[in-house]
Amino acid sequence: MMVELLFLIPLLPLASALFIMVAGDAVPRRVLTTMAAGAVGIAAALTIWMWPLAADGARATLYTWIESGPLQIPVQILFSRLSATMTLMVTGVSFLIHVYAVSYLHQERDLRRFFSLFNLFVGAMLVIVLADNLLLLFLGWEGVGFCSYALIGYWYRNPEFADAGRKAFLTTRAADVLFGIALLWLFQLTGSLSITAINQQAVMLPSGSVTAVALLLAAGACGKSAQLPFSSWLPDAMAGPTPVSALIHAATMVTAGVYLLCRLFPLISLSPTALAAIGLTGAATAFYAAASALVQRDIKRLLAYSTISQVGYMFLAVGAGTVTGAMFHLLTHAFFKSLMFMAAGLVIHLAGGEQDLYRLGQLPKRAPVLFWLMLAGAVALAGVPPSSGFFSKDAILAACFARATPYWTGLGGLGLLAAFLTALYALRLVYLLIAAPMDLPSHGQAPLGKTWPLLPLSLLALTAGLLNVPHTLGGTALLDQWLSAPTGIAPARRMEWGLAVATCLLVMAAWQLIRNWRRSAPVFTVGGCTRFFASGWRLDKMIRAVLTVPFRNTGRWLQRCPEKWLTLVLPGRLGRWSQNAGQAFRHVTSGHVSDYLSAMLWGTAWLLIMLTALLAL
Amino acid sequence: MMVPLGHVVTLAGLLFTAGLLGVLLRRNLIMILIGVEIMLNAAGIVLVGASAYWRHPAGQLFALLLMPVAAAEVTVALALVIYLKRSRGTLDVNRFDGMKG
Amino acid sequence: MTALLFYILSALALLTTLLCLTRPNPVHALLYLMQALFAVALLYYLLGAPLLAAWQVILYAGAIMVLFLFVIMLLEPASAAKNAAAKRFRWIPPAMIGSLLLACGGILVGMDPLKSGEIAGFWLSPRGFGQALFEHFGLAVEIVSLILLFAAVGAFHLARRHSANREDAS
Repeated sequence: MMVELLFLIPLLPLASALFIMVAGDAVPRRVLTTMAAGAVGIAAALTIWMWPLAADGARATLYTWIESGPLQIPVQILFSRLSATMTLMVTGVSFLIHVYAVSYLHQERDLRRFFSLFNLFVGAMLVIVLADNLLLLFLGWEGVGFCSYALIGYWYRNPEFADAGRKAFLTTRAADVLFGIALLWLFQLTGSLSITAINQQAVMLPSGSVTAVALLLAAGACGKSAQLPFSSWLPDAMAGPTPVSALIHAATMVTAGVYLLCRLFPLISLSPTALAAIGLTGAATAFYAAASALVQRDIKRLLAYSTISQVGYMFLAVGAGTVTGAMFHLLTHAFFKSLMFMAAGLVIHLAGGEQDLYRLGQLPKRAPVLFWLMLAGAVALAGVPPSSGFFSKDAILAACFARATPYWTGLGGLGLLAAFLTALYALRLVYLLIAAPMDLPSHGQAPLGKTWPLLPLSLLALTAGLLNVPHTLGGTALLDQWLSAPTGIAPARRMEWGLAVATCLLVMAAWQLIRNWRRSAPVFTVGGCTRFFASGWRLDKMIRAVLTVPFRNTGRWLQRCPEKWLTLVLPGRLGRWSQNAGQAFRHVTSGHVSDYLSAMLWGTAWLLIMLTALLAL
Repeated sequence: MMVPLGHVVTLAGLLFTAGLLGVLLRRNLIMILIGVEIMLNAAGIVLVGASAYWRHPAGQLFALLLMPVAAAEVTVALALVIYLKRSRGTLDVNRFDGMKG
Repeated sequence: MTALLFYILSALALLTTLLCLTRPNPVHALLYLMQALFAVALLYYLLGAPLLAAWQVILYAGAIMVLFLFVIMLLEPASAAKNAAAKRFRWIPPAMIGSLLLACGGILVGMDPLKSGEIAGFWLSPRGFGQALFEHFGLAVEIVSLILLFAAVGAFHLARRHSANREDAS
C-alpha cells in the first residue's frame, strides 16, 4: 500500500495542472496559487515521508501502458537512493520557486496558463526522475520539452520571445531524435525498455553497440542539458519569466540529461569511448560557456551561460566515472543557481525591468538582504571554500586528475581553467552589482517582492558542501555513502589537498583581478574580441550557416524547381495539351456533309471488314 | 450464257464502289444524288443476276420494285434540293455547316 | 457470244459511270449516266429479263434521269467550275474506303462456292413476269404505288413557294 503512494508524487502536480487548466479561471487567485504551490509542496512532503523506502529501492507499478507482443511497457517507478535524492531536490526547489513565482507574477493576468504549465512541468520532471521504463522517461522528457517551450514563450505576443521558445523546442527536439534512436536500439538489443533490466543486461551486450548507444544517449542528453553543440537555446531562453529560468534552466530540465546518464551509468560506463566523449563535451562546454559568461551584459544571459558551464562540469563528472560527483554538483548547482536566478529576478524587478548589468548597481544600499542572498549564490558559484560549490567542483576535478592518463589530466586542466573563469565572472557580477551604474538607468525603481523563499536556498548553497566532504579532507562523505554509486578512482590525499589549495589560489587571483579591473578605467569599449565571446563564440551564426541557411535554400530551390513545376507548370501544360487535343478533335465535327458521309461509310467499311474476317478466318 | 455468277457480282460491286466514290467526292448535292442512283442500279444488277442463276423470277421482281422506290426517293430528294437552293442559294454541300462544332 | 457481249457491256457501263462521276458539269455527267443505264438495260436483257430491260429504259433512264435533268436546268443555269477550292488530297480517304470495300467484297466473293456457277439460259417472258408479280407480290405493288403517292405529295409540299402567308409555312 505504501509503495503505490509513490505515484502520488508525480501525480499530484499533474492533477493540479489539469485542474488549473480547466477550472483556473473560475476560482479566485489565492486558491489557484495555493493549489499550485501546495501540490508541489505536498509532493515534497511525501518524498520525505517515504524516504525510508529508498534505502533498499522500492518499485511500484501502476498499470501496463502498452502491451503488444514483445513490447511491454508498464507504468513503473523506481524509488531508489538516486531517484529519491533527485526527487527531493526537484520537489523542494520547485516548491520554493512556486512560492517565489506567486509573488513575482502578482501583476500577471493569465496566471491560469502559467501555473498549469508550471505544475505540468514539475509533474513531467518527476516522471523523468522516477520512471523505471525508458519509454515512460521519454514521455516525461517530451513533456518537459513542451512545457519549456510553452513557458519560455509565455509572453508569446512578443515575437522574439515566441521565437526563443521555438528555438528551445526545436534544438532539444533535434537531440531527442538521437535519444529516440538509442531507445529503439536498446529495445532491439535487450528486448525490454526497463531501465533496471537494461542496466543488468548491459554487461552481456556487444561492446560496439554499447558504445554507439551510449554516444546516442549522451547526444540526446546534450540537447536537454544545453551542451555543445545543442547549447544555443539556453541563452535565448531567458526570454521567459524569471521563475521559469530559475526552475527549468537551473535546477530541473537542464539536469535531466545528467540524471539520465547517471541512471543508465551501468550501461554507459562499459564504453570508455563514450565516457571520454562525455567528459570532453563537458569540459569543452564548461570552458566555452565560462568564457562567454565573462563578457555578458545582461544579468540573466550571464546566469544562462553559467548554467551551461556548470552542467558541463556535471558531464565531466559522469565522464570521469563519478556518479556521486555529478549528483553532488547537480544538487549544489540547483541550490545556488536557482537562488541566483531568483535574486536576479528581484534585482531586475527592483530596477523596474532593467537587465543590463552596466545599468544596475548600488544594490547593497538599496536592498541589502537581496545583495547578501546574491552574494551567497555567487560565492558558491565561484567555489570559495567552504561553500558547497567548492566541495562539489573539487570532487569532479579530483576524479578527473585521479585518472592519471594524459587525456583526463588535460580535461581536468581545462576544468580548472574554467573554474578560474567561473570565479572571474561570478566576482565580476558581484562587483557590478555593488558599484554605481556605469550607464544611465532607463527605468525607475519598484518595490521589492518577497525574499523569504530565497533564504533556505542560500543556506543550502553555503552549507550543502558539508554533505559530502571527502575523506581525504577529513570529512565523512555522507552523500557518497548514501548514494553508493560509482565514485570513480579515489584520489590520493595529496592530490585532494593540492587541488583544494589550487582552487583557493585561483579564487583569490580572480578576486584580485576583479578589484584591479574595477579600480582602473571601466571596461566600456566593446571590441571585436568581446563581441565574439558575448555571442557565445558565434555559435548561433555557425548553426545558421551550417544548418538553417542550407536547409532554407534547399527548401526555396525545391519550391522553385520541382514544386512549382509539378504543381503549376505541369498541370498547366497538361491542361493546355488536352485542350488543344480537344480542339483538334473538334475538326471531326466539321459540319461538312461529305465528312459526315465519309464517317458513315468508314463505319460500314469497318463492319464489312469484321464480317469478312469472321467468315474468312 | 457462259458468265459465272461471280463475275456478275463483281461487276455490281465495282459499279457500287464507283457510286460510293461519287457520293464521297462530289460537293454538288445533285451529283451526290446521282451517286446514290448508281449504287441502287448496282444492287439491281445483283438481283437480276441472282435471279438468272437460280432461275427464279423473284430477283427480277425485286429489281422491279426497286425502281419505283428509287423514283420516289429521287422525287423527294430533288424537292429538297429545290428548297435548299431557294433558301441557301447554293448547292455546295460543304456550305451547309450548321452542325459545325 | 453472249459472254463476250456481257463483258463488253459491263466494260461500257463501268467506263461511262466513271466518266459520269468525273464531269464537273452536271448535265454532262447525267448524259453519261444515261448511257450507263442503257448498258445496264442491255445487260438485263442478256440476263433474261426483257421486261425489266424495257422498264429500265423507260422508268430509270426515261423518267428519273429526265427529272434530274429538269431540276438541274431549273436550278443551275451556269454551273461553272465550282469545285475550285477543293483540297488536294481529299480523294485519299474515299479511295481507301473504296478499296477496302472492294477488297472485302473480293474476298467474300472469292470464298463463295457459288461464284463459278454458270448462268445458264434463263428467260422470263413478260407474261411469266406478270404472273409472278401479281401472284406473289401483289401487296408489294400496292405499297409501292402508295409510296409513289406519298413521294409526290411530299415533293409538292417541299418545293412549294411560300410566298404570301407565312403562317401555314411549316
